[in-house]
Amino acid sequence: MTVLAIAQASLRRLARDRTALFFLIVLPVVVIVIVGATVRGFSTWKVGVVDLGAGSAGRTLVTALEDTPGIAVSPYPNAKALTKAIARGELNTGVVLPEGMAAAEQAGRTVSVGVVVERANTSMQAAATAVGAVVQAEGARVQAAQFATRQAGGTFTANLSLAKDLEGHLARVEVRTVQAQANASILPEGFSYSAPTELVLFVFLSAIAGGAAIIETRRLGLYERIHAAPVRAGGIIVGEAITYLAIALGQSLLIVAVGALAFGVSWGDPVAAALLLVIWSLVGAGAGMLAGTLFKTPEQAGAIGPVTGIGFGMLGGCMWPLAIVSPVMRDIGHATPHAWAVDAWTALLARGGTVVTILPDLAVLAAFAAGFLVLATLRLRRVLA
Amino acid sequence: MGEDLLRCDGLRRTFGGRVAVDDVSLHVAAGEIYGLLGPNGAGKTTTIKMICGLLDPDAGSVSVGGRSVERELAVRMLIGYVPQDVALYPDLTARENLGFLGRLYHLRGRELSARVDEALELTDLQSRGGDRVDSFSGGMKRRLNIAAGLLHHPRLLVLDEPTVGVDPQSRHAILERVAEFRRRGMAVLYTTHYMEEAERVCDRVGIIDHGRLIAEGTRRELVDRLGQKDRIELSAEGDLDALAAACRSVAGVEAASVSDGAVQIVVGDGRRLLPEVIEAAEHAGVPVRSVDVVEPDLEAVFLHLTGTALRE
Repeated sequence: MTVLAIAQASLRRLARDRTALFFLIVLPVVVIVIVGATVRGFSTWKVGVVDLGAGSAGRTLVTALEDTPGIAVSPYPNAKALTKAIARGELNTGVVLPEGMAAAEQAGRTVSVGVVVERANTSMQAAATAVGAVVQAEGARVQAAQFATRQAGGTFTANLSLAKDLEGHLARVEVRTVQAQANASILPEGFSYSAPTELVLFVFLSAIAGGAAIIETRRLGLYERIHAAPVRAGGIIVGEAITYLAIALGQSLLIVAVGALAFGVSWGDPVAAALLLVIWSLVGAGAGMLAGTLFKTPEQAGAIGPVTGIGFGMLGGCMWPLAIVSPVMRDIGHATPHAWAVDAWTALLARGGTVVTILPDLAVLAAFAAGFLVLATLRLRRVLA
Repeated sequence: MGEDLLRCDGLRRTFGGRVAVDDVSLHVAAGEIYGLLGPNGAGKTTTIKMICGLLDPDAGSVSVGGRSVERELAVRMLIGYVPQDVALYPDLTARENLGFLGRLYHLRGRELSARVDEALELTDLQSRGGDRVDSFSGGMKRRLNIAAGLLHHPRLLVLDEPTVGVDPQSRHAILERVAEFRRRGMAVLYTTHYMEEAERVCDRVGIIDHGRLIAEGTRRELVDRLGQKDRIELSAEGDLDALAAACRSVAGVEAASVSDGAVQIVVGDGRRLLPEVIEAAEHAGVPVRSVDVVEPDLEAVFLHLTGTALRE
């Protein structure tokens, strides 16, 4: 019961600390929203269009682009402005509609539509492919109309309209794309990306910054006073561990709840997710307690703690997927517990993993938790001695 | 006074080769206030920490109520520890702090609530129980710090410099309370480097310097070691020689003479003999205008024993 009294007093103090509550509750949710919205934005290609006098054919193509999901069209006055916007990253790709495009189509001549893209940029290449598909589809209709005009007579405009009508009734060769999720090494986009990574980042970061509470208790002479009561050093340590674990678990559950209820995040297999949450909270609790014994002043914990937490988060794949970094950086990243936790969440959310799937990750995380807790216990015993 | 409640025998503690406490032995009885007097760094706090079980002695033993502090965790139920610095959570209320500390001593429910009320009342803080500690004055924090040590009704109260940095009014209130604890039969170990506090409240005083207990006894016993006598100085109107002669007739007066317009009387114990000297003056028909008892104090004793002033 004395152990619970220690934990209760610490939690009561936390509940009165508005700054701590902001960092524990408000900030993670805000960051999840921002990162979730940003990552989701990557799936919309921004396409600039320069019309050099293409006429009705150009307008038809622009309409086709606008009607294509995932493509946002913006007009540009000339090719120079378009190229500049692409170079600045304001656009993913650009389309140049040539002068006399409508007349050329009607006359049955070859029409060349320019698609501008930066060669070295893979996301721009992907955008160009998406735009090229729309242009090709429109070109196929034009070819069909030209063919009909040559073979059966009639006007190009009437035949183009007929081609569009028939397109909806003819049997087509459908290409079905199946995503090979079994090997996906990146979390899904949007909030399903931001919620788990921010959970990993913030639970650890808050715990380390929360090490200031141990320093404050030590500085106030409370440990000495508690130790003067019939309470063993082990009891004090367990009391502190319960406090840190409760905070980490509480924050984890909050992020899970907000992610699921507000942003529709599916957290995967519930048993595996729960196990991962508990073990990650233990990692956070151990790291927080260790920080409390390593730093000398609350100011140190407040300054160095977040930097350490963010640094670990960067290395461990909380800011960007480790799949896109070099193998060396990926290996370095796995020196942090964050990488293993993000790997586990990726397995659960992107590949439909189970407890068995993430067992190696859980084992490594449990080892991290045990290591932090043992070190923290040894250090805290020295503080209490 | 009752039987010895606290016994320390041959306590020794070193820190990295530096001897902080060396062969300290003392005992405190129930209903007795024992003052551990010494300058900063003399070893008072280290001694107290060993007594409260916060530090293990390198040698020697501590027992409270006949039970070993080092070996029995439950002995700490008998000890109320009031640390030198205010050891309370500033962002919790007085009542929450006491409630938390009370639970460490296995107090629960109504009993805990009653003990918290009692401790607040005993330290005149009952009206501020719901206020956060960081809104308290320094003196109030000190009183609450003491209240926290009383919650579990300890038989031995250990006060480590409880009046450091408090205003005279709060100091007076704290010393009054300490005297009250003695009346309740509590044994009190009181460390201070304020000589006047030790003289005012302590039944016995131990003088500690450089980790060693160099003298121990009542104030009178310590003063007697100096070999100096008390002096009563009488200012009077009339025949001063007759007054001096009358005083010399009082048993216990060793000498009386006229000097600087007053009668200077040398006695063994000035305070005890003062009423008889006044009575002798009245019989001699010499009206006394003022009386001053000058006695060697613990400061003089400390200077005599260590060669340095207490506050250095």
